[in-house]
Amino acid sequence: MNEKLTVGIADMKMAKGSGVLITYALGSCIGLCFQDPALHLGALLHIMLPLNMEPGRKNPLKYADTGIRETLRQMEAKGASRKRITVKIAGGAKMFEVNGGNLGNIGQRNIESVHTILRQEGIRLLAEDVGGKVARTLLFDVVSGQGCIRSYGRQDVLF
Amino acid sequence: MQIKNLDELTSMEIDTLREIGSIGTGNAATALGQLLGREVRITLPEVRIMGYNEAIEWIGGPEAVTAGVLVGMGGQMSGIMLSVQQMGFINLVLESMLSESISDYMELNELRQSALIEVGNIMISTFINALSGLSGISVDLTVPAFTVDMQGAILSVPMAVYGGMSDYLMTIGGNFVCDNKQVPCHLLLSPDIRSLNFLLQKLGVTE
Repeated sequence: MNEKLTVGIADMKMAKGSGVLITYALGSCIGLCFQDPALHLGALLHIMLPLNMEPGRKNPLKYADTGIRETLRQMEAKGASRKRITVKIAGGAKMFEVNGGNLGNIGQRNIESVHTILRQEGIRLLAEDVGGKVARTLLFDVVSGQGCIRSYGRQDVLF
Repeated sequence: MQIKNLDELTSMEIDTLREIGSIGTGNAATALGQLLGREVRITLPEVRIMGYNEAIEWIGGPEAVTAGVLVGMGGQMSGIMLSVQQMGFINLVLESMLSESISDYMELNELRQSALIEVGNIMISTFINALSGLSGISVDLTVPAFTVDMQGAILSVPMAVYGGMSDYLMTIGGNFVCDNKQVPCHLLLSPDIRSLNFLLQKLGVTE
């Protein structure tokens, strides 16, 4: 597990043949592990918000809708087939319990948006570890498709 | 001129915000000093406009665990204010207020947590009172919320809330020094763009 490729916030990276992708400290953000098992091709996407309503759309990877579509497009450009691509997701927590104010629950909205977009795109959701109040660091092995979630004060979750 | 993105701020506007940061953190330092019964000073106030990943590196990496106190701002100005407290700061507070110290965040029981929330809340309220007095803007604050978790995820809260408007995170804040040692605590104000324009206008920097 020493050659890990780090995915930042509003970022996506792909690896083929071998490699572990990692993204740190997902709060209300969601990490999506895409895999085409036949090609040993995987991608890890770290989105922050549910829907892209920004004029200009400079950063598609920041949003669930444009981020998922952009990732699928890049995977298909590498030969992946939409029928084989599967996804596992983690994140969407609510870090602070705030009464009043206009913070809302971005985590929950992210989860719902990711579900909707995946359904629209016909991508199978294999597993998820979402919601709650805990931050998650997500590791993803592109060959085995194994995901691992590290959190503070909680046992590691394999999925 | 109203700005749409944080990178459009002029140097004069940034200087003004730094002054707000200086007065806000100065007042917060005095309040903290009174609570702790020690002298607390501030180092140079900072206004930072950072990309998301840059901000995470600046706070000291994504996975380090810290305690965070968050207060939401409403009324004439909306935004988020955070007090990010690292272990050294937590022990400074606990030793002064409860005469005890901890070595692991797991030892933060209810009493210790409420001490940290109170300290964070007082520092934040003092900062906002100073801002409010200076600009004549009235700000309502929410009840403070508290969590202990990875600091990357704590910092991502203001990013996500204002992420639809900007690719940057702006923090106005400063660092504290007590007994000649840097106090590992960040006090951060992240306003939304509309409120930032309003603040600059009220202060007479923007037309």
